[in-house]
Amino acid sequence: MRALWQAMGAEWAKVWSVRSTWWCLAAAAVVQVLGAVTLGGATATEAMRGEGPVAPVTASEPVVSATSFTQFALVALAMLTITAEYASGSIRPALQAVPVRGVLLAAKALVVSPVMVVAGVLSGAVATAAVWLLLSADLFGGLVEAPAGEVAADLLGVGAYYALVSVMTLGAGAALRSAAGTLTVVFMLLMGLPLMLLMTGSQVALEASSRMPMFAGLAFMDSAENLTGGPMPYSAGEGLAWLLAWTAAALAAGHAVLRRRDA
Amino acid sequence: MRLILGLDRPTAGTALIGGVPYHEIRDPLRTVGALLDARALHPGRSGHAHLVALARSNGIPRRRVAEVLEVVGLAGAARQRAGTLSLGMSQRLGIAAALLGDPEVLMFDEPVNGLDPDGVRWVRGLVRSLAGEGRTVFVSSHLMSEMQLTADHLVVIGKGRLIKDAPLAEVIAGSSLTAVVVRTPHARELAVRLRGAGIEVTRSGESDLLATGAPIERIGDLAHEAGIRLHELRTREASLEQAYQELTEQGVEYGAGRAGA
Repeated sequence: MRALWQAMGAEWAKVWSVRSTWWCLAAAAVVQVLGAVTLGGATATEAMRGEGPVAPVTASEPVVSATSFTQFALVALAMLTITAEYASGSIRPALQAVPVRGVLLAAKALVVSPVMVVAGVLSGAVATAAVWLLLSADLFGGLVEAPAGEVAADLLGVGAYYALVSVMTLGAGAALRSAAGTLTVVFMLLMGLPLMLLMTGSQVALEASSRMPMFAGLAFMDSAENLTGGPMPYSAGEGLAWLLAWTAAALAAGHAVLRRRDA
Repeated sequence: MRLILGLDRPTAGTALIGGVPYHEIRDPLRTVGALLDARALHPGRSGHAHLVALARSNGIPRRRVAEVLEVVGLAGAARQRAGTLSLGMSQRLGIAAALLGDPEVLMFDEPVNGLDPDGVRWVRGLVRSLAGEGRTVFVSSHLMSEMQLTADHLVVIGKGRLIKDAPLAEVIAGSSLTAVVVRTPHARELAVRLRGAGIEVTRSGESDLLATGAPIERIGDLAHEAGIRLHELRTREASLEQAYQELTEQGVEYGAGRAGA
């Protein structure tokens, strides 16, 4: 436990001593706010035109939907904590200092996750406020509400989703080692494959795609706009279970490769 | 070295440090400090931050960071991003990282690579003084002249096989090029005498002999017994370079091929 705690201290120092961390967080914040405002505006406009249900929009709802874009800035951050070590060779000093490889991977996951939760909650809160300000204007008919409990639950859900997707990315990065490979695989898992499956239009493909990490995450965060064009075929709890399963699988793959392959 | 540090997995056998595999050592940087590749640094992270992270991972007090930076003469450049450091400066940073935990065992892979002549002299002095403090210093190098100046004990490995594991002095004494040089006006007479005593002698000039396989005292005594005047009597030591070449040539005969020390 002491070794893990110390390794976490080292990872914490490493995360904040490179510029890419700040760039990724800044990019995530910008995309989160702009994405949420755009989606919120679109929903409100549809409602006013009578194309959707004329009901007030929950201010945090478009924030949840905007995770589909925002997540990639944070995926990049999580990915770099491992692939940058392989690219520069600094994985070797890192393993000299923390020779039990599972401890190194666990320390990275335990440092990245809380950063993601905080990033999700903070950027989500700003985005929620921005959506509320925009939609409460007369232009959109003031069709917005922000019940504190629901907003808080949404924001925590966003933070948890980012944390789990980041740990999944970390596992993929440990398994693949290269930034290009990791980004490709994670993008395909999150967006590429599920969208391709949806395009086939078959019921089986729809069921499968809705259980891939991003849609599982949207179900977990209880999103109304989940890109499938309808409500999720399962509950929020099941969404979390699927998301956890994907994360655990990626982490296990990363750990297996990290343990067996020469550094 | 990578096998000892647990970075690579051996196809057979185990590597132990003080009887323990590396990954079982608690806070390993406090026991073993190693510099394998000076360029293995995140280019965007400062040397200072690199050392702070290493110190935290092994519970090493933060003040050690400033201390080792001072020792390697890098205090001024420690806040620069590591990507902007020259090879020589990265080398110094790597040595600082190895010293961080004040370890009893140090391992350096080609430590003078990329250093200027002053830097080379500095590393030589540092390695000797670390050994002088009672630490074990394990240096790998292809620079035989450098090793002759720093090493006490040699391990020669060729194609994964151990060729020699002996003190430096023994390796040099064992070389056929280590010989006793004799200059005498009665070279022919002395050569006959020495050969008679079972010593291998070659004539290298009108009045010069080279005797191998006997200590200098014995040759002096034999000359004295025969009443032969000597104008010069000294030992000529083979360089480590020459001794090494002989060793590895033997290695070739045994199929070991080209070797590295």
